[in-house]
Parts: sequence; C-alpha cells; structure tokens
Amino acid sequence: MSTIRTLIVAVVLLCVTCVSVVQGKGDDFNSVVKMIEQFYGVKHEEIPFLAKAGMKVARTAARIKGGTARRIAEAGSIKLAVFENQDFNGEFIKFRNSLNGALNQTWQPLIQTLSATEEEQTYIFLREAGEKFNVLVVTIEPRDATVVQVNVSPKNLAILLKDPEGTGKAITEEATIIDQE
Amino acid sequence: MKSLFQTKLGALLTAALFVTISAVTANAQEPSRLQLSSLDHLAAKASQSVDVNIDERLMRLASKAFSDTDAEEREIKKVIAGVKGIYVKVFEFEAEGQYSSADMETIRTQLRGPGWTRLVNVTSKKEGNLEVYLLMNGDMVNGLAVVASDVKELVIVNIVGPVDLDKLAKLEGQLGIPELGIESNKKKNDDEK
Repeated sequence: MSTIRTLIVAVVLLCVTCVSVVQGKGDDFNSVVKMIEQFYGVKHEEIPFLAKAGMKVARTAARIKGGTARRIAEAGSIKLAVFENQDFNGEFIKFRNSLNGALNQTWQPLIQTLSATEEEQTYIFLREAGEKFNVLVVTIEPRDATVVQVNVSPKNLAILLKDPEGTGKAITEEATIIDQE
Repeated sequence: MKSLFQTKLGALLTAALFVTISAVTANAQEPSRLQLSSLDHLAAKASQSVDVNIDERLMRLASKAFSDTDAEEREIKKVIAGVKGIYVKVFEFEAEGQYSSADMETIRTQLRGPGWTRLVNVTSKKEGNLEVYLLMNGDMVNGLAVVASDVKELVIVNIVGPVDLDKLAKLEGQLGIPELGIESNKKKNDDEK
C-alpha cells in the first residue's frame, strides 16, 4: 500500500512541477522585458496611442521580400515594449544565452542575428497558439530596443518562415508604425 | 499480491518514463544532426552572424503553414516533405583568420563519421571553398551538410532528413538558408552535351 502511496505522491509532484513551469512561462513577454531591464539596467517606456500613430509617418512601410507592404500581425494582438535613448552595453553572447535560457521551455528560437559592426541583435521566437502562432521579436540596438509579440495566421507564418530576417524586421516596424486596432 | 490498480499504475509509469527518455534521447540519436555549438564563440569575433534553427516541430508547423494553392509555397512544401530539421550558421568577419582550423575540425570530425560521404563533383559560383556531404543509409539520403568557407566567411548548413542537391538548390534563399550558388558539375556537364 505504501508503494502505491509513494507512486501517487511522485506522480502528483511531477504534475504540479510541470504545471508550475508552464504557468511560470505564461507571461514570457513581460519576463523578457524585465530581463532586458535587469541585464542592461534600462527602463521601457509606455507609448501613448497618439504618439504611436504619429510614428507612422516617420518610417517606411513594412518591407517584405518579394512583396508590397502588408499587415502581418493579427489585429489587436500586438504587445509592444520600447526602450529609447538608453545604453545597451553588454556582452551580447551573454545576453543571448540568458534570453534563450529564459524562453527555451515554451518558445522555439527561429533565427538569431548578431551584428558586431552595427551593434544590433535580433531574436525571433515562435510558438503554437491554437490555430494561430505567437511570434516574439526582440531587437537590441546600441541606444534603442524593442520587444514585440504578435499573433500570426498560418499564411503569415509561411511568409515568416520563407524570409525570417526580413519578416521579423517587418513585424517590429509594423508594431511601432501602425497603431493597434 | 499486487492489485490490478498497482499493476496498471506500474505499467503507466514505466510507459511514461520510456516516452520521456525517448524524447530526450531522440535528438542525440539523429545521426545527420551536426553539433554546431562549438562554433558559437565565433559570434563574438564576427561582424555579422546568423543562427537559424528549424527543428522537427517547426518543420511540422512549416508544412502546415505553406499553402497548396500558392505555387512557390507548394514547391517548398514538396521539397521539405520528410525533412526533420534545418540548421544554419553564418559568420562574416572583417579581418582574415578569425576562425581556426580547430574550429573547422570540430565539424569535419563529425562528417568523417559513419555514413557521411563527401561529394566531389560540386562547386559554387561564389568564391571560397565548398564542401558538400551526404549522410547515406544504403541508397537513401538521410542528411546533408554544406561547409562553405572563405577567409572572411564561414557558412554551415545542415539539413536533417531526406534531401538532395536539387532540393537544396530550391531552398537557397528560403527558410534562412543563404544563397550558396551550388552547382553540380555532373549536371553542368550533362547540360553542356
């Protein structure tokens, strides 16, 4: 009887551990924003809706390989954190390892680009979300950074997979240029 | 005497353990998957580096995402059918000699393993050295590796699963695979006839 009890306790403990890991990773967007703040000693800004609309005219339209400007993110799905005019000094390899470590339970790293000359880092992660897909794009530049999470349809996932780098940039531009509906 | 409940619970736990161990070791057992993490340190020296990871789960998503109605996507879908992973590392350097022969050896050692064959009749339109390897299992191709190196550039492409040079050529510029300019000399000779 004691064997059964031990086994049941072990199974329950295993289940509780798994659930808590999943729950802990539930709000990865905020975790990543906090991680950037702690790693680089910076603070993200809340962007007023009108300011965001104003940014629309300042930038070019989304650039997607082989096509014209188009929306990638599902309407209303954009989560955005912007860091402006702050210093992002730090070892990018160390940052990359921390970011991957923080997200590897629930997200799949798709593409990671580092440019030492431009001091620019881009990370794109993916995960399934029912019929749709979540895409998380982290961009770090010497003085600015953005974290964008969007939902995309299978059709737009195909566009992302065909040209991960270009589409990742387009998602970030779209989130910072186009006002959320 | 053990009750039916005990027996079932034991069997269930054994099955769960087996599934977990299988999942953990599946990756390690895939012989065509190269371990490329030994090159990660080069990112710190590189002016540009790109790391693409499309594992089996993402490949399944990709197959679902690509449409059958769009001609280009239909073609990609056909090419990647059965492919279990695409892994790419690209390093571009400003100065020469930033990667060592020891770095290359960590990859070549794996490509000298059982089943891997280097194709000799392959060149690239681009400058530099190009090595293409296939992992054969009888007549079946189970994986492909490309090592393209120049004094200021190092590119590794590893495709896990059934793939050949024609398929690779179709994937150049897609799914994070760079343009390698690969040409099969055999095919070129055939075309010249």
